[in-house]
Amino acid sequence: MVKPASTTTATGKDLGAVRAAQSESPGLFGVAGLSSVIRALLPFVVAILAWWAIWAVLDPPEIILVSPASVFGSFIDSIAEGALPTFIARSLARLGIGTLIAIGLGVPMGWLLGLDEDVAQAAEPIMRFFNAVSGIAWLPAMIIWFGFTETTIQAVIVYTMLFPVAFNAMIGVRTIPKRYRDACRTMGAGTLRIIRDVYMPGSFPSVMTGLRLGIGFGWRALIAGEFVVGTTAGGGLGFFIFDARTQGVIGKVMAGMIVLGVLWLLMDRLILRPIEETINVKWGAVSA
Amino acid sequence: MTVPTGGAAQAAPPTISVEGLSHSFTDPQTRKTVHALDDVNLEILPGDFVTVVGPSGCGKTTLLNILAGFIRPSAGKAFVNGRAIERPGADRGVVFQELAILPWRTVYRNIAHGLEIQGVAKPEIDERVNRMTSLVGLEGFEGHYPHQLSGGMRQRVAVARTWVSDPEIILMDEPFAAVDAMTRLTLQEELNDLTVRTGKTVFFITHSVEEAVFLGDRVMALSARPGRIKEEVHVPVPRAERSWERMSHDEALQDTVEHVLSLVRGEAVEPTGQDG
Amino acid sequence: MTTISAASPPIGRTVKKWLLPAVPFAILVALWGLAVLLFDPPVGVLPSPALVFEAPFNSDPYLANVGASVQRLILGFLVAASTGVVVGVAAGLSKPIAEFLGPLTTFMNALSGIAWIPLAVAWFGPGTGMVVFIVWNAAFFLVFGNTMLGVRLVPDVLQNGLLTLGASRMDVIRQVIVPGAMPYIMSGLRSGLGFGWRAVIAAELVGASLGLGAWIFEQQEFSRMDNIMAGALTIGVIGMVMDRWLLAPLERRTIERWGMVGSAS
Repeated sequence: MVKPASTTTATGKDLGAVRAAQSESPGLFGVAGLSSVIRALLPFVVAILAWWAIWAVLDPPEIILVSPASVFGSFIDSIAEGALPTFIARSLARLGIGTLIAIGLGVPMGWLLGLDEDVAQAAEPIMRFFNAVSGIAWLPAMIIWFGFTETTIQAVIVYTMLFPVAFNAMIGVRTIPKRYRDACRTMGAGTLRIIRDVYMPGSFPSVMTGLRLGIGFGWRALIAGEFVVGTTAGGGLGFFIFDARTQGVIGKVMAGMIVLGVLWLLMDRLILRPIEETINVKWGAVSA
Repeated sequence: MTVPTGGAAQAAPPTISVEGLSHSFTDPQTRKTVHALDDVNLEILPGDFVTVVGPSGCGKTTLLNILAGFIRPSAGKAFVNGRAIERPGADRGVVFQELAILPWRTVYRNIAHGLEIQGVAKPEIDERVNRMTSLVGLEGFEGHYPHQLSGGMRQRVAVARTWVSDPEIILMDEPFAAVDAMTRLTLQEELNDLTVRTGKTVFFITHSVEEAVFLGDRVMALSARPGRIKEEVHVPVPRAERSWERMSHDEALQDTVEHVLSLVRGEAVEPTGQDG
Repeated sequence: MTTISAASPPIGRTVKKWLLPAVPFAILVALWGLAVLLFDPPVGVLPSPALVFEAPFNSDPYLANVGASVQRLILGFLVAASTGVVVGVAAGLSKPIAEFLGPLTTFMNALSGIAWIPLAVAWFGPGTGMVVFIVWNAAFFLVFGNTMLGVRLVPDVLQNGLLTLGASRMDVIRQVIVPGAMPYIMSGLRSGLGFGWRAVIAAELVGASLGLGAWIFEQQEFSRMDNIMAGALTIGVIGMVMDRWLLAPLERRTIERWGMVGSAS
């Protein structure tokens, strides 16, 4: 999968020929001299102003749209009440536990698939199928099996994350050049040694990619799970948003959504991506 | 490993011997049977540097893969010290065509890898790796990762990694094919120097006639598929006295190159070559 | 290159290719049937395989629900694909547009799809409009991002070549930019459709009275496990058929035709 988010940092391939032919000057907003921070924040400022303008002009009912100021107010209130911080912590804990379980199950599974052609041929289709069923579609069944409980939410997250993690671990192993293995064999390495010295480190970058992808999917599954099960399973960010909408407090709904987006970006930019990039910088391109 | 170089070791038993070796396999793409090697016979004595040269796709690499133990031949036998070759072993070090050093290990840890696998004690690993890095001119780069090095440097790591374990025989599969021409000349002289000094037995595959003559005691000229040894050519000048400088002046060496070239040239009929 | 093992005959290979994947499915169904026989669980907890496979034929609303879901997916996906490609091409060609939309879409992508469901219910009310909006929301950012990336990676040489021939800007976009970016666009469409399908189910789960998601959630209240499992498996089959037999081959053909490097998974 091409990572769409990477487009913001992608290849500083400058002005294409079309643009060159057009001979444009520094930029629409004249921001050539501004720092990149302001440049990144500007679109948000414009978007919030536009939102404010729409709200002021249309004057929509409070259950449709509220002003940015009132969303901010709801945000502060929810923090003061303590509900939001508790729910954030709960959602993150769920995601964390789900991630650990998905790694524990998915990575060895993917390695096995990557190492043995026959196992892969047999197991890949059924895994693709259950991946396509998606964790969310199992929610009703899981509610029957496990009730409106923590277990249901957790099961949906793990189910959702498992496949991307396993598939990428498999791809990681498959794309390691066979010569690495052969070279180790000529140095007298046995199978276990080769797994430890070649397959484990060699598939690591791909496992990280799978993890990022999986957490992205899992995050959405978590929200859906909390919509449905959150009431009795102790809340969560998804529940917070869903509940606010039931009460008709759109300010809280939007505040919750913004928190959701910011949390994901922080996780992605501060934890997941740096790990991936460090590895890439340190090792170079691992697979030939 | 103090066997003198050159063909002086007549009395010693051959380190590698190959008898009536033939190999064919099914090409996975075309599903056709490919006859790679046909009745190859070969003896490599301790301290020998044997080069194999031939047109693309003549089965050179197949031959090396059989000696390394990656492939079982369809017919005939290959022996190391009298034992039939069945699987890869630490007695035969291989320097691969494509780089096979691990990107996630530093230069030091790549060179030390074989010793780690063999369970050599840490202080000894340290000592041997350090000796090796200075021998191939890698001092100061021990902490670097492969992608931070030039092609030539990486190739030195690949050579050092194989040499440091001190295998009886070193099998090399066009190790310098991917580096630029200038670097290649340097690497070839360095390799010649290294083998002369360490007295290693080397089996070296190349498609460059000049390289084959420059490095080898003997040059095996292989025919096009199925690969067969057309002629075994002895290189007249002792390896210890060789340099590219001398290669360009010495008439005996020039004649040898011409002769091998004439053997190989008639064979290059297949347009489907895969390497340049 | 050389293969190590003696090659197996072509017939054996074909059999293996079709038989091997069937084995796990067969084992799973057998185990499931056996478990039902041995432990005799309540039919509301685990019905027999036969009951689940019969469920679509015994339940009248099944086809209507499948139809509703697929229709919403197609609708939302078409809107997402067209808007995503157009805006993506624009952003790929113009740096100011890219700089403006880049950070916004990165943020929106981080909470795309499912998180919007409550707000969408408030805006559109439960039903098709809301589901279509969620599908668009789930797929748009992927299509947009990939298109923009693809356009940026089209070599300048190709554009210059056409411009020196006196081509207009639209010619360049039509004949160079879009075909050149096509492999990326396809890959964006493919993952967009996958996200979109999940979003349909999630949206219907909480905000619709018709559709597969709504149906299985409603069946849960009646403990109709046969219908729930039939619905879940249907979701999988539809997702799989779309991805593997429709979009994956399309993507592969685009990549092969234009010889660009694709992506894994």
